[in-house]
Amino acid sequence: MRHPKSETRSSKRRAALIAALLVLAAGPVLAADAPKLAGDLDAKGLADAVARDHGKVVVVNFWATWCVPCREEFPDLIRLEKTYRDRGVAVLGVSIDFAKDLSKVEKFLAANRPEFPNYIKRAGGDDQDFIDSVDPKWGGELPFTVVYARDGKKARVLSGKQSYASFEKAVTELLR
Amino acid sequence: MKASRALSSLLLTAALAAPALADGPAIGAPAPTFQLTTIEGKSFSLADAEKANKAVVLMFIATKCPVSNAYNDRMRDIANEYGKKGILFVGINSNNTEPESEVKSHAKEHGFAFTLVKDPGNKVADLYNAQHTPEIFIVGPDGKLLYHGRIDENQQEPAKVSSPDLKNALNEILAGQPIAKAETKAFGCSIKRV
Repeated sequence: MRHPKSETRSSKRRAALIAALLVLAAGPVLAADAPKLAGDLDAKGLADAVARDHGKVVVVNFWATWCVPCREEFPDLIRLEKTYRDRGVAVLGVSIDFAKDLSKVEKFLAANRPEFPNYIKRAGGDDQDFIDSVDPKWGGELPFTVVYARDGKKARVLSGKQSYASFEKAVTELLR
Repeated sequence: MKASRALSSLLLTAALAAPALADGPAIGAPAPTFQLTTIEGKSFSLADAEKANKAVVLMFIATKCPVSNAYNDRMRDIANEYGKKGILFVGINSNNTEPESEVKSHAKEHGFAFTLVKDPGNKVADLYNAQHTPEIFIVGPDGKLLYHGRIDENQQEPAKVSSPDLKNALNEILAGQPIAKAETKAFGCSIKRV
């Protein structure tokens, strides 16, 4: 025969387990302090966002939740920003996800917890205008990263998935 | 049937023996010919298709790319509309990450009635230097490239399209007029090459 106290503890554990399973079944719940999108932006909004960090080396990374290499390199951008923020580096993320996938973007940010601002490209308008404003040679493929020097001028264009070393090389060359 | 497949294979090899154009064909230049097998197992020859149609629209597309998928309904509708007017549409899947079985189920799901081919080893994509999905090339009956670029400018909001570049080009071709905007910039996902 089991001790009544042990029975109570067992019941409590079972209840806690069931509660946890119910939460999991209901889907992820975003924590109150989860990073939020800084807003949506078009070509002008992006230029303004970069200009706000004038005097810093600004890394702008274009990503999407459906883009596997984007998801893979994102932790390296988080690490880069943490490592170099005190040395004059700012990172901005721009999601190219469609507006209908906003919840996926928010969940991605909540899971990764970047400490830099992330925007989503504003829906509609001429997509080519936006793409050309970032770089005339860009065709919208992801991931895509543009690094601006302290004077605000575009200094590096990194197409495709990058390693941490590649990001670090790009910013350190501009910090000299 | 077997002999036909063998011939197709031989012709494909021959057609692709030419070196890929580093920048792809220019507007007005001969479009590289190729021969591939459709997802229904039929032989498709661009050279033959050129002779039998007012124009051939080559559409590099994907099953997984959200940008290409945003254009599924538009591609289906344009192909249905202009197919009746003597234009042939060919969807080309060059992504090594998307097998033929997936191309077939994707076509069924989205009601594609146009010809679809898988491009093993992305050789046709290389011949045209196609980089994105979706990316469009229109070839005229004389085998020359008439248009290269995007379908339109607005991937997310079809109802708000203000520059229907593919349709404009097709209308001009059917009217026997020169294409005012023969080159636009294709944008979308990168073609997943081998």
